[in-house]
Amino acid sequence: MSAIDFEYAIKKDVRNNPIVREIDQARQRQLLETAVIVGFLSLVILFSAWQRFALLGHGYEMQRMQRERAEQEEINRHLRLEIETLRSPARVEHIATKQLHLVAPTRDQAIILERVTPSAPPEKSIVAAR
Amino acid sequence: MADEHGGRFRFPWSSSAQRILKREPASGPGDWREVLRSRLFVCAGLFVLWTVSIEARLVYLQVIEHADLMARANRQQLRTVKLPAKRGEIVDRKGRVLAYSVDADTIVADPTEVEDPRIVATRVCAALDHCTSQQRQVMAERLASDQHFAYLARQVSPEEARKVKELDLPGVGLYKESRRYYPKKELAAHVLGYVGVDNVGLAGLESTFDARIRGREGKMLLQTDARRHAMSSREERLPTAGDGLELTIDEYLQFIADRELRNGVAENGASGGTAIILQPYTGEILALANWPAFNPNAFNASDVVARRNRAVQDLYEPGSTFKIVTASAAVEERLIRTVDQIDCSPGYITFGSRVIRDTHEYGVLPFIDVIAKSSNVGAIKVGMRVGPDRLSQYISRFGFGQTLASDFRGENAGMVYSADRLDPSALASVSMGYQVGVTPLQMATAVAAIANGGEVVEPHVVRAFIRGGHREEVPRNVVRRAIAPETAATVTEIMEAVVERGTAKSFAQIDGYTVAGKTGTASKVVNNHYSKSDYNASFVGFVPSRKPAIVIVVVIDSPHAGSYYGAVVSAPVFKRIAEATLRHLGIGPTLNAPPPVIVARHDGSPEDMAARPIVALSSAKAVASAPAGVMPDLRGLSARDAIRALMQLGLMPRIDGDGVVVEQSPRAGDALARGDSCVLKLGRRPPPAAGGIEQ
Repeated sequence: MSAIDFEYAIKKDVRNNPIVREIDQARQRQLLETAVIVGFLSLVILFSAWQRFALLGHGYEMQRMQRERAEQEEINRHLRLEIETLRSPARVEHIATKQLHLVAPTRDQAIILERVTPSAPPEKSIVAAR
Repeated sequence: MADEHGGRFRFPWSSSAQRILKREPASGPGDWREVLRSRLFVCAGLFVLWTVSIEARLVYLQVIEHADLMARANRQQLRTVKLPAKRGEIVDRKGRVLAYSVDADTIVADPTEVEDPRIVATRVCAALDHCTSQQRQVMAERLASDQHFAYLARQVSPEEARKVKELDLPGVGLYKESRRYYPKKELAAHVLGYVGVDNVGLAGLESTFDARIRGREGKMLLQTDARRHAMSSREERLPTAGDGLELTIDEYLQFIADRELRNGVAENGASGGTAIILQPYTGEILALANWPAFNPNAFNASDVVARRNRAVQDLYEPGSTFKIVTASAAVEERLIRTVDQIDCSPGYITFGSRVIRDTHEYGVLPFIDVIAKSSNVGAIKVGMRVGPDRLSQYISRFGFGQTLASDFRGENAGMVYSADRLDPSALASVSMGYQVGVTPLQMATAVAAIANGGEVVEPHVVRAFIRGGHREEVPRNVVRRAIAPETAATVTEIMEAVVERGTAKSFAQIDGYTVAGKTGTASKVVNNHYSKSDYNASFVGFVPSRKPAIVIVVVIDSPHAGSYYGAVVSAPVFKRIAEATLRHLGIGPTLNAPPPVIVARHDGSPEDMAARPIVALSSAKAVASAPAGVMPDLRGLSARDAIRALMQLGLMPRIDGDGVVVEQSPRAGDALARGDSCVLKLGRRPPPAAGGIEQ
């Protein structure tokens, strides 16, 4: 800065206090429009980001639930296997005879109900030969 | 701007740029604008440079290096996970599970992440139930390798997996694999077979139908984050579960066959045995038992001999049971009648230097008794009448010398001589069941042909395939007709004589049922000679003989605890199996059968069961107190007690409803005739106390 400039800056008596800057309506409108657009764009970006993060979160949740479902199904299979193991005839007989002291019924103790649908009768020739 | 500089175009910041480049200071009152402009110029330049460099980098990454980077990203973020297909389950004829698959944990490691293989192997081994020092050594060797993957222990129990997980060893993890379980353990083990650790069937039905049971594994694409946590997944191909098998085996009958065979082998000090229960009309195998048996859940721990399915893989000389075939050929060809006399004296027959003897000298016997008493001399004379050509033809017709059951991989076809090799001595041997090798299943099939009227029906153990809930039934397959129905009836009569008054008289008779059967005792070949101490004792028969429901064959190998005769050793096993089977199948007695119990369908409405005065059940004293020939008062008795009372009186009960007897016809006190029927009306509540009913 030269010496003249400095002098000018100090000495010049600028009385601009009563001057009021006129509000530029067009500029204000432009500013508002810009703010609205920026705000809208920000919202869109935020919504998009939220959507993406929510999707990610749901992905994790879905994976967790699928894993849980698979685990439950597997537990179900294990339980079914256990039931079938406990139903083993050898085990049932052992409990029946050794623990409960049951015995197999004799012929006199069993009544056989005739089946409703009899099997096909043998051919006449066989019956005749017998 | 162009005017100020002599018509030449200049950018507004051109002068500033020049001044900056010349390092000249700004001068004049408006120079600050120049300064600002020049700085802006610098910033803009930097910004453009930055943008261009970023764009260049983007182009480089997204265009030039696109393929490589995509591949790298996929490697890092996407994992292809195999979705193992579950093997189809195997169930018995009533839907009870015999083979089932569940996931099991396999212990795996990344050896490059393991610091001290020996310590890790020791700690993992300690967490396992049965880990030998040899297994620990193998683990340490695998962990010392420079591979990225190694199996430490496959398909361990949940408890073992939990212990290993708690160790939290770096580089050691768990991996799910499908494992086959057989919840009934030894039950039908030889039929089911077993599966290896790679889920491939190695024996039995698991091997025969492996392609159908195994299914097809699926593929899933997994997207993971930096921590390898799954973010999303996409199933590229769904796993296809394998087909289920519904067997003809009845779990309870299989258990009975296993138990009685095991007892029979133990009682007779034998080295092994086989028992088969077959339905003669359908060819369905209800039970197939072998001893020694093995546990398919731990098949590696069993002996190879125990894993052999003797019923279809081992040959034996059937001995006298084969006389049924000789007799069938002779009767079918009308060479002999059951009453024709055959001279069995002097109790032996010679072929050159070879002498074949009977156990007793029978003299002259009718043909029916030749078989019933199992005379070798008589059977040979009948075989001579039949001749080698015709006998060979009938042997083939009955299915000997050929595989019959496609369900059993590795089935032995048997060994039979062709007609041109049957010299008189060989023909004599074959006529009484020597010099011919058969499997127990072939013998059961041949006898089933006699039982069903002459048709050889393919024995099978798979009843239906289950795919996606749809049941595809395996049809009955008649291979051929072996003999005419009349011949089958005659041979049945002969086989009945074996049990009624022949060799099996005291051993195979079942109270209330007609039984047809044949005993067999054949010396085993040891070191190319017939042994004097080792025999195959067998019995084959069907029951009830006039309306056959089951064919049973029992073969006991090398009994040493006393007698070695088929009648003494195998027939009692047959009897015990048959009694239990008849009871289980609900087949009523055929000899002096009690009057049938006829139960009406009860479609009573709930109103019928409206509350009535509750009266204590009466006892059977009322029945006992009734005079002979007079209908007792059965009201208040349970259906079971009432039926028992009526059967004692020789009356045929007809039942209508549920609960206890509330009405009866004839009424109490009416005169009775044996064989009358009595209609009992049952209700949920007994009637109010009346005469004859105790409260």
